Amino acid sequence: MTQIEHLGWRIETRAEVTARQRAQGLTLAMAAALILCSFLFLAAGANPFAAFAALLKGAFGSWRTATETLVKATPLIFTGLAAAVAFRARLWNIGAEGQVFAGAIVAYWCQHGLAGQPPAVQLPVVIAGAMIGGALYAGLAGLLKTACRVDEVISTVMLNYIIVYALSMLLLKGPWSESGGFFEQTAKVDPGSILPALFSGSRLHLGFPIALVAAFLLQVIIARTPLGFEIRAAGSNLRALEVQGTNTTRIILVVMMLSGLMAGLAGASEVYGVHYRLKAGAVAGYGYSGIVVAILGQFRPWRVVAAAILFGALVNGATFMQIKTGVPSALIYAIEAIILLFYLGGWAASGLRLRRIARAR
Amino acid sequence: MLAELLNTSVMVSILAATIRIATPVLLAALGELVAERGGVYNMGVEGTMLMGAFTAYLAAAHTGSLWAGAAAAMLTGGLMSLTFAFLVITLKVEQIVTGLAINLLGSGLSVFWLRAAFADAGQTPTIALFGTAPVPVLHAIPYLGPVLFEQKLLTYLALLAVPSVWVFLFRSRPGLDLRCCGENPKALDVKGISVAARQYGAVVFGGIMAGLGGSFLTLATSARFVPEITNGRGWLAIVIVIAGMWRPVPVLLATLAFSFLDALQLQIQGIGIAIPYQLLLAMPYVFAILALAVRRAHSGAPERLGIPYSRDGS
Repeated sequence: MTQIEHLGWRIETRAEVTARQRAQGLTLAMAAALILCSFLFLAAGANPFAAFAALLKGAFGSWRTATETLVKATPLIFTGLAAAVAFRARLWNIGAEGQVFAGAIVAYWCQHGLAGQPPAVQLPVVIAGAMIGGALYAGLAGLLKTACRVDEVISTVMLNYIIVYALSMLLLKGPWSESGGFFEQTAKVDPGSILPALFSGSRLHLGFPIALVAAFLLQVIIARTPLGFEIRAAGSNLRALEVQGTNTTRIILVVMMLSGLMAGLAGASEVYGVHYRLKAGAVAGYGYSGIVVAILGQFRPWRVVAAAILFGALVNGATFMQIKTGVPSALIYAIEAIILLFYLGGWAASGLRLRRIARAR
Repeated sequence: MLAELLNTSVMVSILAATIRIATPVLLAALGELVAERGGVYNMGVEGTMLMGAFTAYLAAAHTGSLWAGAAAAMLTGGLMSLTFAFLVITLKVEQIVTGLAINLLGSGLSVFWLRAAFADAGQTPTIALFGTAPVPVLHAIPYLGPVLFEQKLLTYLALLAVPSVWVFLFRSRPGLDLRCCGENPKALDVKGISVAARQYGAVVFGGIMAGLGGSFLTLATSARFVPEITNGRGWLAIVIVIAGMWRPVPVLLATLAFSFLDALQLQIQGIGIAIPYQLLLAMPYVFAILALAVRRAHSGAPERLGIPYSRDGS
């Protein structure tokens, strides 16, 4: 007997949820999230309509700002895909954050001795280094899970904290610190290693098409390959897969490394496409947003891309919103979380129904 | 170096710092212990602590009262965990994902609110800190006195919470019912006892404790809120519950072990020994992974931890 039954209602699970019910639940939830966000705008002393308008204008107001939205979306596509592939297999890799760092660190480690070499040499090294770095760091968490039974949620979170200090050690009076520099960062990277801009007058760089290719490949892997089948099977029932004789240790390691590889690319993309230096500020924060992006994209690669662009727009528009309305741009991170909470709630609630019952005595 | 560390007065100060540093994590870990004993895995501790730290600071800065700050932190912690409880207990959303969402909320909302509340001020104001409250007579005991009995009130509260939680969980009827929620909820349900109500209670208690733990960071340690001030302490609290095998006294010991590491690190930095400080700061996290890697798998975990209860389900 639950409390609610004393009030004459019962919550029941719907045997089957139609697409329409799902859509209704999610629409209602998103509307509620928007209303709650409006209150936050009001609390910050701004007119919510003006703030939303400024957000939109800052994100898509011109060709330039629209491409800038894609610049902001690029790392989120990578980390969103990273979380999507792992979560799809019910492996809770929370470590995209650290794996972005690892990708950037290994990419820089491989590349910084190659200054002066042509881009045809440096760019593949940067990309490969980032993939290897991310994959190995995620693989470490996979190994801890399979060999020592350490829960991947905890190990990846701990690894996220550890690598921030590792990078700081390399940069602050460390071997990679800019000579004579005051900040915790490397010197500017060699021009031959920079991911080239796609159009003049825009910062949109090679990282964006690479992210789209990554989404395409991941889609093919999940939908068309034996590994993809195993990922989907692991997501619904890992035990059944085990009983069937599949080597689940291998699946866990492969999925973790695939996930880390995607996250690592975000590191290279930011360092070599946007900031041109390795520093914590260039690579921090994308991992956690990527998780939100993955969930909103329902772990499906192309929807993840769409969600990443939406969040890229939020990040991009926020700066303009702050200038225009004085609302701190940090608000968008609160909005991100609110959208996620309501999305989760709306999704789950659309699978339930309230039914009037005779009042229990 | 060793000689310097083994000096008795240095040892006393390290141990006193250990107890002090343990306070926020111990409060949060005991709260999480109760929630997990009830079968709910709340991974939102980090965000809840962070919001506790922030609202405590905000309330104290506005009212000038530290106790108002502590009350605000408990209220915030309770509200955040109520949100969590509604999602995972009533709506049965995946607990890990919901916990992460709570963390993101804490980290986003605290920074936004900080910027919005002190938009005009160039710098955020500092608040007065809780002073030490020496226990009469006992604080004069050599060595033991300065370590245990010259602490702040919240620290005594955290230490007293250990036996209280033990008595509740293992020597009281509601505690037995709660543990039953984590082990065999069906048995409670057949008896007509609401599993959901017990779990709500446990999760909200956990949130209040996490909020209070967070408040210690601003009200008793730093005097100011800085973004991400919790810096992983909420996650350490979760690790500590696992390492403490879901029992109050081992949880206390695990907390002290982590805090000792932290206190030692502060002391080493203070003496100015040439170890990169980042290595020292990363120690607790490395230690956490090692602690989980060497323990026996899942010893002591509640049978139904993290699995939502539904009557028609398995």
